[in-house]
Amino acid sequence: MAVLIALAVVAGIAGYAAARVVLERNTMRRLPFLNVVSFAITGSLMLLLPHPLTIVACAAYFVGSTLESNAIASTWSGGIKKDA
Amino acid sequence: MLAEGLRILIAACVCWLNFVTIDVFFGLPKEGGVCGATAIAQEIEKKGGALHGGYMMGNIVSSPDASAGTLLASCAVYAAGIPGGLFTALLVYIGNRICYDPGYAGTTGTITATFIVYGFTQIGFSASDFIAGMVIAILTIQGLSHVHASRLLATLWRWRS
Repeated sequence: MAVLIALAVVAGIAGYAAARVVLERNTMRRLPFLNVVSFAITGSLMLLLPHPLTIVACAAYFVGSTLESNAIASTWSGGIKKDA
Repeated sequence: MLAEGLRILIAACVCWLNFVTIDVFFGLPKEGGVCGATAIAQEIEKKGGALHGGYMMGNIVSSPDASAGTLLASCAVYAAGIPGGLFTALLVYIGNRICYDPGYAGTTGTITATFIVYGFTQIGFSASDFIAGMVIAILTIQGLSHVHASRLLATLWRWRS
């Protein structure tokens, strides 16, 4: 019961940030909103499944989603600039 | 015993102070760690934000920093106490290396957050308050207004340097 308010806050923020991702037109400015969605999903994973092994799942999910954002941002910006 | 809503708001302030202090101390607003972080900062600047605040927001997107450490430490203390938090510091360290980040902001943030969250659980707070609090804290930086958040972070960076 006590966790329900925390879960409602986290799920509400996830929905809000997801809407901002859809509404923002610029791909680079979408990524910070996507970052908020990742935080909220990681938090709700732990609130829904309170078990020590969930720590590994949370870390794997969060690091994976961060790496994806990193890859999208770096690719979109043109990759590493090589001095010719 | 405080009401749960109030505890979550206090936890959000504590999480915000923890991750912003450590990120600014480790110099995240100085420059983009990867080219993607720099590109995000430039887009935020084009819209009217501050470049150094944008660098920090880009770095938060591109690698697990102290904010990610604070969230994962809260999750770990919720499930497994202090040993879980210290184990998470190892996972964040590995995550930093995977994301091509040479810094130690994430690992340091995880360790400090572990002890802060554990301390607050001793005085009537629950670690779940800190999970929700950290999500609110990151919302204020990354999810409300990029222009205002980047200006605030740039001001804090000017104070440090």
